[in-house]
Parts: sequence; C-alpha cells; structure tokens
Amino acid sequence: MASIRFHIAVFSAKCTHLALRLMGRGATTLPGKVAVKVDPKILKKLCSGRDCVTITGTNGKTTTTHMITDIFRNCGYTVVTNVSGANLLSGVTTSMIFGMKEMKKAEKEGKKIICVLETDEAAYGKIACQIMPKVSVVTNLFRDQLDRFGELAHTRELIAKGLDSCEADILLNSDDSLVSELYKGREGRTVFYGLSEESMHYNNVTYPDKSGVLPASSDAEYCTGCKTKYTYTARSFGHLGSFSCSKCGKKRQSPRFFVKYDLSKNPSDEGYELSLCDGGANGDKASAEGVSGLIEKRVKLPIPGMHNFYNSIAAVSACVCMGEKIGDTEGLSFDKCAAALEHVEAAFGRMEKISIGDKKICVLLVKNPVGLDRALSFVAGASDAEGIYMLLNSNIADGKDVSWIWDVDFESKEFPEKVYVSGDRYGDMMLRIVYSGVDRSRIIAKPMEECAELLDQAISDSTPGKCLYILPNYTSMLALRSILVKRYHLKDFWK
Amino acid sequence: MDNTEKELRICHMYPDLLNLYGDRGNVLSLIRRAELRGIKAKLVPVSIGDDFNENDFDIVFLGGGQDAEQNVIRKDFVEVKGPKVKEAIENGMVFLCICGGYQMLGKYYQEHDGTKIECLNAIDIYTVGEDVRYIQDTIYEAEFLKENGIAESSLLYGFENHSGRTYLGPTVKPMAKVIEGAGNNGKDGYEGAIYNNVYCTYSHGSFLPKNPRMTDHLLRLALKRRYGEDYELPELSTESEDFARAALLKYKEKGNTAP
Repeated sequence: MASIRFHIAVFSAKCTHLALRLMGRGATTLPGKVAVKVDPKILKKLCSGRDCVTITGTNGKTTTTHMITDIFRNCGYTVVTNVSGANLLSGVTTSMIFGMKEMKKAEKEGKKIICVLETDEAAYGKIACQIMPKVSVVTNLFRDQLDRFGELAHTRELIAKGLDSCEADILLNSDDSLVSELYKGREGRTVFYGLSEESMHYNNVTYPDKSGVLPASSDAEYCTGCKTKYTYTARSFGHLGSFSCSKCGKKRQSPRFFVKYDLSKNPSDEGYELSLCDGGANGDKASAEGVSGLIEKRVKLPIPGMHNFYNSIAAVSACVCMGEKIGDTEGLSFDKCAAALEHVEAAFGRMEKISIGDKKICVLLVKNPVGLDRALSFVAGASDAEGIYMLLNSNIADGKDVSWIWDVDFESKEFPEKVYVSGDRYGDMMLRIVYSGVDRSRIIAKPMEECAELLDQAISDSTPGKCLYILPNYTSMLALRSILVKRYHLKDFWK
Repeated sequence: MDNTEKELRICHMYPDLLNLYGDRGNVLSLIRRAELRGIKAKLVPVSIGDDFNENDFDIVFLGGGQDAEQNVIRKDFVEVKGPKVKEAIENGMVFLCICGGYQMLGKYYQEHDGTKIECLNAIDIYTVGEDVRYIQDTIYEAEFLKENGIAESSLLYGFENHSGRTYLGPTVKPMAKVIEGAGNNGKDGYEGAIYNNVYCTYSHGSFLPKNPRMTDHLLRLALKRRYGEDYELPELSTESEDFARAALLKYKEKGNTAP
C-alpha cells in the first residue's frame, strides 16, 4: 500500500509540475505540496538511504548550499539540491522528487550521490527527522522577519529539536554565541567552523569599522544563560566574534575549520585571497602556536564580501565532514574541497554580476538587518560602484513590518553617487537613506509600479565599466527577476 | 535665538538590550531634527549598571525588547534606577517610551498564565498579555499636534506589534485616537499614554521618522524645559518625511493584496 501511495504521490507531483510549466510558472514548491498531501511520509521515503547535508540558519543558507553543491560536483559527485527559497517541506520534497531520475541514472553509472538541502530555520525542526541528514550545518542566527518567528531563542529551540531528531554530525559557527551554544549535550557530534581569532583580532585593531552616529542594533550582547554582558576580544561583524562571559564562563569554542584573512586588501574585490585551515583537534590555536597537523590552503574567495568567509569555510567543512562520515576521505580531502571552492560561481541575487550590453549590474538580495548591513558595506567597498538601486516591499514573505531598516547602520556607509529607490515601501526607504545623511536631491524614488522604468533609467545612467548594485528584498527580487527576464531577455532563473 | 549654543542631551536607555523593530530610528530622528537646526545633540547610552542622573539629560528614550532581554533589565530598571526615573518623571523630564518600555513604566504586566510581573509603577497603567498579537500598520490622531486646524498635521503613522493590552488609570491621558489599528487594548479606541511629559506608544521603530511633528513636539518640550518657556524651536522643513507619509498612504489605499 505504502508503495502505491508513494507512486501516486510522485505521479501527482509530476502532473502538477507539468501543468504549472505549461502555464509558464515556476514550479518549485506546489508539486511537493501535492505529493505530501497524498503521502505525508514521502520525504522520509525519498531521503531514505541517501547521504544528505542540510543547511539552516538566518543568513548564508542559499550561498552555502550552492557552494557545497558545487564542491561536491567538482569532486565528482552527482548532487540533488533545492532551488533557492524552496526550503520548506514542500520545496525540499519537490526537489527530491525531481532529483529521482538523476539519482537513478547516477546509480546505474556507479556514481556517488549527495543531496544538499537548504532548510528554513523554523521548518528544520519538523523535517530533519524525515531527511535524516548525515551532516547538518547551522550558519548563524540574526533577526529576521521577527513578526514571523517571534524571538531568536525560539528559533534556536526549533533548530535544536531538529538536531535531536536525527543523528547528523553538526557543524556550528563558533563565532555566533547563539548558534555555538547548540553544542551542549551534543558534544560528540559537533564540529566548529569560524574565523581565526588571531585574524579577527588583528584586523579589528588594524582596520576598525567606521563608526556611525549610533551603533547598529545588536542581537546578542548578553549571555543567554546568566544574562551577563559578553566581553569581546575581537569581532567580525554583528554579534559574531570572540565572545566570553565573565560570570558563567561560556565562551567561543575554538573551531576546527577556520579562515585566516587580511583586510589590508578589500574583500569586496574579485580575486581576494584568504587561507582556509583545518586545525584538527588544536582548532585555531594550531595557527597561533604553529602546532603540527595544521592544513592550510590558500584560495581565491569565489564570491566577494566578508560574510562569504563564513559561507566558504562552512561549505568546505561540510564536505570534508561528509567525506569522513561516508568513508571518502580521499575524494573529499580538505585540499580537494578547498580547491573545488574556487570554482564556485555566484547564484542569482547573490552577488552575481550580470552584463547588460556594455553595462553591468549586480543583485544583492537583502532580507534582514545584518544582510543589509553586509550588502551596504560591500557596496561601499566596491571600487566599481557607481549607482545603487534599493527596493523594499512589505508583503507577507518579506515581513509586514519594514522598521528593521532602522536597525541597520546606514550612517557609517558611503553611498554611491547615484541612488535609486523603489518598492511598495519606497517612501520608507527613501527617508531611511535621507536620514543617514545622503542629500535628498541625489535620490530618485518611484513607486513599485514604476520600478521597471526606474531600472531602465538606472541602467542607462550608468557608465560602462562601472556597476549598478541592486539591493531588493525578497518579493521585490522576484519582481526584478521577471523584469530582467522579460525586458532584458536574461535567461530563465527558475531552472 | 542663537541655536548654535543650544544643546540636546539624549539618554538612550538600554540601547544594547531594548532595540527591537528599529527603535534606533527614533533616536536618529531626535538627533537629525535637532542638528539640522544647529542644535548640538549629545547621545548618552545608559545601560545595566550605569548611573542615571536626571540633571544630565533633556530627553530619555526607552524602547522595546524581546522578552528574554526585558527580563535582563527589569531588576536594574525597577529596583536600581527606578526611584530616580520616577523622580525625573514627576519633575517633568521628557520621555518617549515604546512598547516594552511603555509597559515597564506601568504598575504591572500580567502574563498569559496570570502571573503578575511588578513594573516601575511610575504611571497609572497596567498591561495584560493575551494570545492574539496585533501586527499591522496603524494611523492615529493626536489632538495636541493639530496645527491651524489642519487634520493631516495631527495624524501619526505607525506599526504595532504587541500581544499586551494596556489599560489607563484616571491620571493618565491617551496619546491619540486610533483611526486604523488596535491601539492600547483593541477595545477603547485609544492609543498610547501621556503623563506629565512622558509619551508612550505601541508604535514601533520608525515612529519618529514618519512623524516629524511628533519629533518636533518632543524637542520643543525638552528644549523649553532646559532653556525656558520663551525658547522657540526654529522652523524646519518636513518635505522628505511628508513624501514618505504620502507614499505610505498611497500604498495603504492601494490595498495590500499581494501574497
């Protein structure tokens, strides 16, 4: 019976997919939804016997998923993965159903298969027991659409529930006090990754951030256990850094996998180089003390921006740990995974530079305060930034409340010469930029209905060789994507 | 009056803990609309363990936080700083308190299970937590902001996000009438509270940026208190803010039906 149910579910999903495509629509979640209706346990069946990696957390999920996928592929694996944003039960199920054919083919050819699945933080708690991942990555926890999740502590509980429902090796960001705490009670299967404390400290002191009028709102200044203010010896950005609590002793754990970097060169530039390290049991102390056993690999950062230090090391760590878990330490050695990282290319909305005639645009999806902070900081550092086009919507998928833009430190960021603003909440965004000190006369703000015309204008205003940076939030990015497909005949990104 | 010698000292209470939903924007607004008039704005963060002295400040801002963080500050706020804060309020110090900050000035906060959490008892209000959260864009009408009988000048735009229902006692006036949204408790049609120079609201985040006349009202109160009743706050354009307000209104009129 179960088997028949399963096949009916798969068949229904395929019909739904076909119907949606005939209507010219993206079919990334609805087929899975239909399949789950028919067979509620379908995802468990689809994942059974597979080697799965999951990626969850507030920021960097899509990029890390994408990096892991590319590394495995470059190392000779066949990979099934989900499309960006389709990271709830329905989306993951859809991706697994449509990966069946490829997996069968790979099996026949004797190729190794990995499933790389991005999962929403809230959904992870419920679906980890179905996916039964071998490796689970948690990227970070920042404020994100608070009107949906309530509080960060609650989000972390949901993730913890997911971790306890499976036996995965857990990869945690050592520099995030909210995330790293998840190792408690799961010590035997936790591995940390992060930035080298030495690098963080050195770069902090040598290249301190520009300070604004008022520091950005921080998410985790106080110890969650004993409510004492953390002491930081170094920070990377947001609340990420080397923290410790003077009262209860909670502190950053030394990461096995870490990044050594130097900000005397600009990570906004293409070709920025850094070192990825495996310190083994010595963690990032291995770097400081020159202990043997340290593996260090110099690589070019595949996607620019300092936040991609974290995504890069998370991705390489996940692949190496999977290799150890499934007994392919040769094919997925640290050296090979790190080398494979260099060939990763940016995904749409994640810093991909797109040529439009002799002009260039770059889209940076921004969904929450720290994401926007990182994007503005990136644009401020980009030598080719001539214009910036910001779009802000407040649909349910974006979060109805746009006040989070005020949590971001715009004041310390330099804006490019030309500023364009659109989206349903263009007034709010325009005002935010004006309040940061940008002269009103430099800003062209238009309602969402005119966002396509404004894009035309922004592109035509730009100089060849320079770049127009576009920062949409979620639903405005979807709109932008279809404008780019229709008006500028760019490839269909739904594929 | 020469404003270059004027100074506005802003106390930002618990900025490292009470900083939810863009509360920071309110402080930026006070600074901006003071500095554009040539008034020097001095911002002082006052957090756990720091002294609070009324004489050091002209205006106090107290925002909202997540429950976990409000629990961290409760003891410091109620027991340590409490007496001095109450005294400052009685002496007419200007306060702007949002959401959690608003609730904490009251007598108590009753949780869903009936547990009463003692608050500062500085103003005669109390709050009862309920399951249904009010999350939406709001519009209020504040009589004290009406200029020359123009209705638009008295409108306050906001965004509410709260599960607490607040009820006012006889010595406290509501800040505004609700035109859209739930307001204090979803029942009596009023929003926020005023007691002496204390202004409280559930409207989060970009409350002052969207409401420059409210910003100016607070600045005027604070500067008159500092420099005397005959102090006059210089005129300042609200063009950018009005543009944002008009855009918001248009968006609301359009009806937000998209997914």
